[in-house]
Amino acid sequence: MPLVFAQLDIPYVIKRISGKDAVRTHLRNLGLVESETVIVRQSIAGNLIVEIKGVRLALDEGLGRRIMV
Amino acid sequence: MEIKIALAGNPNSGKTTLFNTLTGSRQRVGNWPGVTVEKKEGTVKNDHDLLIQDLPGIYSLSPYSLEEVVSRTYLVHERPDVILNIVDATNIERNLYLTTQLLELDIPVIVALNMMDVVEDQIDPKKLSEQLHVPVVEISALKNKGIDELLVQIKKVSTKKGQQFLPFTEDVEASVSFVEKLLPHLECPRWYAIKVLERDERVDEEMNFSHDIKKEISCQIDHLEEIYDDDTESLITNERYAQIAQIIAKAVKKSKGKHALTLSDKIDKVVTNRILALPIFILIMYCVYTIAMGSTPISIGTMGTGWANDVLFGEWIPGAVDSMIGALHLNPILGSLIQDGIVAGVGATLGFVPQILVLFIFLSILEDCGYMARVAFIMDRLFRKFGLSGKSFIPLLVATGCGVPGIMASRTIEQDRDRKMTIMTTGFIPCGAKMPIIGLFAGAIFGNSSLVATSAFVIGIAAVIITGIMLKKFKAFAGEPAPFVMELPVYHMPSIHNVLHSTWERGWSFIKRAGTLILLSSIVLWFLQSFGFVNGAFTLVEDNNHSLLASIGNAVSWIFYPLGWVGDMAWKATVATFTGLIAKEEVVNTFGVLYNHAGELSEAGDEIWALVAADFSAVTAYSFMIFNLLCAPCFAAMGAIKREMNNPKWTLLSIGYMCGFAYVCAMIVYQIGGLLLGEVSFNVFTIIAIVLLAGMIYLLFRKGYQPESEAISTRELKFRTSKS
Repeated sequence: MPLVFAQLDIPYVIKRISGKDAVRTHLRNLGLVESETVIVRQSIAGNLIVEIKGVRLALDEGLGRRIMV
Repeated sequence: MEIKIALAGNPNSGKTTLFNTLTGSRQRVGNWPGVTVEKKEGTVKNDHDLLIQDLPGIYSLSPYSLEEVVSRTYLVHERPDVILNIVDATNIERNLYLTTQLLELDIPVIVALNMMDVVEDQIDPKKLSEQLHVPVVEISALKNKGIDELLVQIKKVSTKKGQQFLPFTEDVEASVSFVEKLLPHLECPRWYAIKVLERDERVDEEMNFSHDIKKEISCQIDHLEEIYDDDTESLITNERYAQIAQIIAKAVKKSKGKHALTLSDKIDKVVTNRILALPIFILIMYCVYTIAMGSTPISIGTMGTGWANDVLFGEWIPGAVDSMIGALHLNPILGSLIQDGIVAGVGATLGFVPQILVLFIFLSILEDCGYMARVAFIMDRLFRKFGLSGKSFIPLLVATGCGVPGIMASRTIEQDRDRKMTIMTTGFIPCGAKMPIIGLFAGAIFGNSSLVATSAFVIGIAAVIITGIMLKKFKAFAGEPAPFVMELPVYHMPSIHNVLHSTWERGWSFIKRAGTLILLSSIVLWFLQSFGFVNGAFTLVEDNNHSLLASIGNAVSWIFYPLGWVGDMAWKATVATFTGLIAKEEVVNTFGVLYNHAGELSEAGDEIWALVAADFSAVTAYSFMIFNLLCAPCFAAMGAIKREMNNPKWTLLSIGYMCGFAYVCAMIVYQIGGLLLGEVSFNVFTIIAIVLLAGMIYLLFRKGYQPESEAISTRELKFRTSKS
């Protein structure tokens, strides 16, 4: 399911990040890669704060929909 | 012999602090050639042979943001002697991702492991050094620890030739070597080979391969993609994370309870809470503004400005200048130039410095402790609705203090069109210097109603929103704002040094303009105001209704006729608007002079309220206020626009747009508002105003230019055609 539907504070494993554009590369450079564990720490109307590799990243809803867990 | 050291690292890794610690005050700040990314360099405190060049904070050497492009161009083409890579020990996995790429440039690398005091003995620097094949020095940039050792190692490393890299798995490594052999002679063939395999557009352009070589390369790419069932860019990323995982396994003891909530998370649960986020933000900003600009016993900014206006520039300096003029027996005209022109003009601007500095201190604290990044996150959702991203919010917020640093703050926005739109709208926000204009009319015409000031903010914000929606429909701005992805640094106590440093940097740009632009324009204004033609002779004028300024004002005031600036007040309002270009606080000062008020005018001009009230009605007051709040900002802000746009066409377009938008809004308000209130009779301009209003509504609601799906970037298109 897309990361936007994930429950708070529960670890999920990233299965796939869809799209193949520069944004995806940037997400990967920031540590969002397949088979990595991700935790959603906060969600405001679809915009997310996630924890990945010990870092907190803020993502908008559009990006959250592209990350499948 | 000079050793050039490039300082590279992730944003929020303590890079700025380390740079300041190493170089002290010997810094030169400029821009990287051709772009508005800041370039800083400086020599080391006790060793002037070591030249440190601060690269922008980056996550990788792929060309996603302008910062990354600038950094890699510098590293690949300028070839520094040493790369000093600062690595945040609390966040080592992500930080090492950049390190793996720096190792491929064949330049000696040294790793400064920052914040080791926080992770204590979880990381073994010796093992890390063995794994990376580079010296690793533990430092604490904040506490100034390990710096001497770092300098010793830098000198040692600088004599080294080249740099050992971390190999990929066999298949990938074979392809990299293969491509390396196809390349012409280069200084860092491995880096180029990897970029070629990743289909990096910029490198492809630079290399300009022949058809045959292109074929061989795409053959290699296809080969790899078939084996791994993934595109080469992703698989190389995966290779890097695999390398890092191996290093971490050997050199880092995994801490227990990795997924527990940290203090930072707990704070975030509250301040970014769906319901509480906005009230908390408003409360914080309310406190900041009360202290910086309010009129309560804790408003130190206002007190400072009061003192500067009433005592420093009200008594001390004019007094000292008076006695100096007297002692030197200067010509009275020269005396008037110095006193009424320079001291009064420059003083009016410098008087704002205390308020501005207090505001900047608070904004720097909010930035340094990590809250600003959260604010951008909270606002993103809202801003996306009218075509801007959350990152545009910080420039607008800073602009409530002063537009100049506000416009400068737009630098952090990655996407070009988002940045341009932010620059164009930042000037609409009522800055500190526009407050007196609001104060004057609120007092003179609206019985000091606080609704007037509120309405000024509403007008400013509405202008931003309307502009955002309208511009988004044009081809140049069409398309979604860049996806919002931003690292949220861990909350920490702000460092006094960093806060003071950035406050000073912003404050200084404000002070500097007082010494240059405002000085010059004060002299011009004084001249125009003091001289004129009386009975056909050019002379010093007593009554400023005869001054050159009045003649010019009268000559051009017809422009503002449709805005309701008619009769006696027309030229005064026109002149005040023009002087407002120098600095917005000049508007009220000019009214003071033009209404022949003798002596010092209070900030909101209480003394001339009765005269202003006689000349302006409620509708003309709003027409004047709206025009002055929204039209071209002061010269200093225009200078900032020019610098940030870095393009004369866009600079003119932005300033022209602001003036045009202000004119149209003021006209609609005067003509239609006046008609409704029975103050203005139906005339040809009423029709024009209605047409303009209709046009604006059309621009807001039309369908607009539809860009082709952006999910497919140009890079993707090339990729597809090459495959098919």
